[in-house]
Amino acid sequence: MKPGTRWTQFWTVLSFAALAAVLVPVFVIDAPWPAAARDYVEAQGVREIGSYNLVSAVYLGYRIFDTVGEIIVLIASVIGTVAVFSAAGAVLAEGYEIDLRNMSDREKQEIMDDSSFTLPGEKRHTHALRTHLLEVVTGVLGPVVVLFGFYIMVYGHSSPGGGFQGGVIIASGIVFLALGNRMESSTMLTRPPVLERIESAAFLVLALASFGGMFTGTGFFGDFLKEFALYPAGFMMIMKVSIGLIVGAGIGYLCIAMVGREIT
Amino acid sequence: MMNPENLIFLPVALPLAGAAAAFCAKAWCTGSLAKITEYGGALIGLALPWAFLAAVLPVIATGGVVEGVIGRWYEGIGITFRFDGLSWLVMVLIYSVTTAAWIYSLGAGPRNASFSAVYLILVSALSATIMTTDVFNLFVCLEMAGITSYVLIASSGKPGAALASFSYLLISASSMVFFLLGVYGLYRLTGALSYEGIAQGLQSLPDGGGTAAVVSLALMIAAVSVRVAVMPVSGWLPDAHALAPHAVSAVLSGVLIKVPLFALARVMLLMPAGMQAGALIGYAGAFTALFGVILALSQKDAKRLLAYHSISQIGYVVSAWGAAVHVGVTTPAGAALMAASFLHGLYHAMFKGLLFLSIGTTVDRTGQRDVYQLRGAARILRSGGERIPVTCICFFIGALAISAIPPFNGYVSKTALSHVLSGSFHYYLLTAAGVGTAASFIKLSRIYWPQKQGGEHSAARGRTPASVYISQLFLGGLCIAGGISASAVFAMVVNLLSASGAPVPEVAFYSSANMLKALLTVAAGLILFLLTATKKGGALLTTIRTRPRGFQDLFISFSLAAAVLVIWML
Amino acid sequence: MIERILILLLMLTGLWSIISKRNIIKKIFGFTLLNNAVVMLFVLEGSRIGKSAPILEEGISQVVDPVPQALMLTAIVIGVCMTALALALAFYLYKASGSFDIRKIREAVHDES
Repeated sequence: MKPGTRWTQFWTVLSFAALAAVLVPVFVIDAPWPAAARDYVEAQGVREIGSYNLVSAVYLGYRIFDTVGEIIVLIASVIGTVAVFSAAGAVLAEGYEIDLRNMSDREKQEIMDDSSFTLPGEKRHTHALRTHLLEVVTGVLGPVVVLFGFYIMVYGHSSPGGGFQGGVIIASGIVFLALGNRMESSTMLTRPPVLERIESAAFLVLALASFGGMFTGTGFFGDFLKEFALYPAGFMMIMKVSIGLIVGAGIGYLCIAMVGREIT
Repeated sequence: MMNPENLIFLPVALPLAGAAAAFCAKAWCTGSLAKITEYGGALIGLALPWAFLAAVLPVIATGGVVEGVIGRWYEGIGITFRFDGLSWLVMVLIYSVTTAAWIYSLGAGPRNASFSAVYLILVSALSATIMTTDVFNLFVCLEMAGITSYVLIASSGKPGAALASFSYLLISASSMVFFLLGVYGLYRLTGALSYEGIAQGLQSLPDGGGTAAVVSLALMIAAVSVRVAVMPVSGWLPDAHALAPHAVSAVLSGVLIKVPLFALARVMLLMPAGMQAGALIGYAGAFTALFGVILALSQKDAKRLLAYHSISQIGYVVSAWGAAVHVGVTTPAGAALMAASFLHGLYHAMFKGLLFLSIGTTVDRTGQRDVYQLRGAARILRSGGERIPVTCICFFIGALAISAIPPFNGYVSKTALSHVLSGSFHYYLLTAAGVGTAASFIKLSRIYWPQKQGGEHSAARGRTPASVYISQLFLGGLCIAGGISASAVFAMVVNLLSASGAPVPEVAFYSSANMLKALLTVAAGLILFLLTATKKGGALLTTIRTRPRGFQDLFISFSLAAAVLVIWML
Repeated sequence: MIERILILLLMLTGLWSIISKRNIIKKIFGFTLLNNAVVMLFVLEGSRIGKSAPILEEGISQVVDPVPQALMLTAIVIGVCMTALALALAFYLYKASGSFDIRKIREAVHDES
C-alpha cells in the first residue's frame, strides 16, 4: 500500500465508512436515560458527602479515584510536555521575549515592522510582541483572577465550581501575571521552580490523604474526617484544594513554558 | 489497617506515594537529599508491594477474592476493585519486570527524578488497571498508563522516538475515545458502570441490549486491542519499542502490552457476544504470532527485531487467551487455556525484558545496532571491563528461552501452550512461528560471534555500572527458575485462576516427545536461517523490511478491525 | 434526535481529519473534535431526565443526572492533557524536520535514525 495512491484513498474511504456505519447503533439508542444513579445522589449526596453541588459530590466523593487519575494524567502530561520542549532546545513563541533594550534603532524598527502587535504611536522598549494595553490590563487583572479562582475552588461544594475549575482559573491568573509583568517587577508565582514546588507538594498531600481512610475504617481515599469534622465536607475540602493547586500550578507552568519563559 | 479490604489498594497507593516523593525530590531538594528522597520513593513504590503480595498470598491461594469500593461509598456509583488470583498473578508480572528495569535505569539511564516519578505513576496505573471492575475507571487507568508510556518513549530524546510517541499517542488516544463511546452506550442502556451492574442490567433488558450493547462492547475491545498490539492494530509498536530507552523498552514489551489484555478478560464476560469476540481475537493472535515472526526475521536493527518479536509473542498469549474467553474462563478447559496464556505472558515478560536489557547494554557499549554489521560483541564487552561475560550469558539465556529450549522458562510456557491448544487451528500457526523465532535468534546471536577481521568497533569508554548487571542477573535467574520449577508453577497458576478448584491438567513438561519437538523446531529454525542467508532469501527479507508503512495505515486498520469485530459479534 | 446526528457528524469530521489530513496539527484538531463530540453526547443525553442544574438549593427538584457531568469532567481533562503532549511533540517534530507534513517528517526522521 504505497502512500498517496488510489488504493490508499480507497482503503481510507472504506475504513472510514465502515467505522461510521458501526457507530450509528450507539447514537440511535432510544432507551430512556437511567435515573437510578441520579436518584441516589439526589437523596443521599448531601448527607453522605456534605456537598450541595451534586457533580462535586460525585467527582470528589463517590468517584474520587477517577479524579485522582485525571490529575495524575495532568501531572505526567506537564512533566512530559516540559521535557519535550526542553529537548527541542528552543523557547516557544519566538519574539515573545525579544528584549529590545540592547538593540540598535534599526534592528528595533525591523522587529517592530515585522512582528509587533504594538498600537500606532506606541513606543516599546521591551517585549516586541506585547502592547502596553495588554500588559496593564493583565497585570491589574491577574491578582483578581487568582483570587476568583480560589473562591471557585473553595466553594465547589455549594455552588458551581470545584478543584479543577478553580485550578484552571488560577492558572489563567498566573498566565495574566506572567504577561503583565514588565521585566522589572516580578512575582514569585510566575517562576517555573515555584510552580513546580506547589504542584509537587499538593500531589504529596493528595497521595498521603489517600492513606488516611485506611486507618479510620473508611478505606482507600475514604473520608477520614467523617467522624470528627465540624464541617461536613472536610475531606472534600482537602481534595478540592490539593487538586486545585495541582491544576493551577501545572497548567500555569505549561502555559508559561509555551509562552516562552525560561525553563529550568 | 490490616483489614484485607484496605490492603488491596496498597499496590495502587504505594507507587503513587512513591511517585509523589520522587516528584517532590525534583522540585524541593538538591544534592544527596534529592537522591535519598527519590530512592526512598522508589523503595516505597517498588519494594513494599512485594511484601503486600507475599502477605495476601495465603488468602488468595485458598480461592479468596477480596472486593472493595473506593472510599466505601455506595457501590452503585462508587468505583469497585477486585483482587483475585488473576490480579495477584498479573501483579507479580508487573512488579518483577518493573523492579528489574528500574534498577537497570540507575546505571544506564534515563537518570533523573522526573523519570522515576513518571515511572512509578505507570506502575500504579498498571496495578489499578488489573484490579478495577468499573468501565469508566478502566478508561482512566488505561489513559494513565498511556500518557506515562508516551512520555517515557519520548524521553530518549531522539526525533524518531518523538515520532513513534506521537503516532502511538494519536492512535491510542483516538481509540480510547471510542472506548468512551462504548462506556456511554453501556451506561445509557443499564445505568451502571461496574461490570457486575452492567452484566445484570443487560440481562434484565428484553433483548440483552441488542445491537447497541454489542457495538459498545466491540468498540471497547477494539480500543484495548490497540494497546495489546494484536496484528491488524500493532503498527505503532515496533518504532515505539525500538526507540525508547532500554529500560523503558523492557517495561513496554514485558508489561504494558499484557496488563490491558488480562484486564480486558473481565470486560469480555459482560455479555455472551464477548465470548464470540474471544474466538476472533484468538485467531487474530495466532496469525499475529506467525506474521510477527516473519517481520522480525527480516529486521536489521537489533532492538527493532526484538520489538517485532514482542508482537509475535503477544500473539501466542492472545491466541490461548482468546480460546479461553471463547470457552469461558470458569470451565476447566478455559482455566487451563488461561493459565497457559498467562504463564507465557509472565515468562515472556521476563525473557523479553532480559533480552531488551542485554541487547541494550550491548548496543550501548559497541555503538552499533545493525545486526548485519555488528560482530564480536562479546569481545568488545570484555574489553569494556566485563570479566565475567554477564551480558553475553544473559542474552543467551533469554535467546534460548524465547526459542523454547529446555530447561529455560520459554520452553515450559510454550509446551503448556501447545498442550492446551493441541489439535486446534492455532497450534499449527504457533508451531510455524516457533521455527521462525529460532531462526531469528540464531541471526541475532551472531552479533556475539567472534569477528573475522580486525576490530572496527571500539567499545564506549567508562565502566558498565553494577546495577546493569544486577538487573540482568535478576531476570536471568527468574528465567532459569521458571524453567526448573515448571510443574509447580503451572499448577499454582491454574489453581489461582480457577477459584472453583478445577483439576490441573497433567502436562509432562520434560517428556522425551516434547524435548524432541523442541529439538526439531530448532533444527528447522537453523535450516530457515540458512535459507534466509542465501542471496534470494536476503532479497526477500529486504523487500519485507522496506515495505512502506504510513501513519494512515494505523487508523485504517483500526477502523476496519473495529468494523469486522462488530460484524463478527452480531 | 437531530442533536445526536449533528454530534455524530462532528465526530466523523474529527475522525476524517485524523485519517486523511497530512498536517499533524490538523490531526490534533481532529482528535480534539472527536473527544469533544463524545463529551457533548454524554452530557447532552444525561441532561434529558431533569430540568435544573444539579445543585441542591431551596426549591430545586428534578435535577439532571450528575454522574455523566462528573465523568465528562475527567474525560475533558484527559483530552486536554493528550492534546498538550501531542502539540509539544508536534513542535519538537517540526524543529527536527522543518515540516508539519507527516510524510516529510517520517522521511526526515528516518534519514537520521
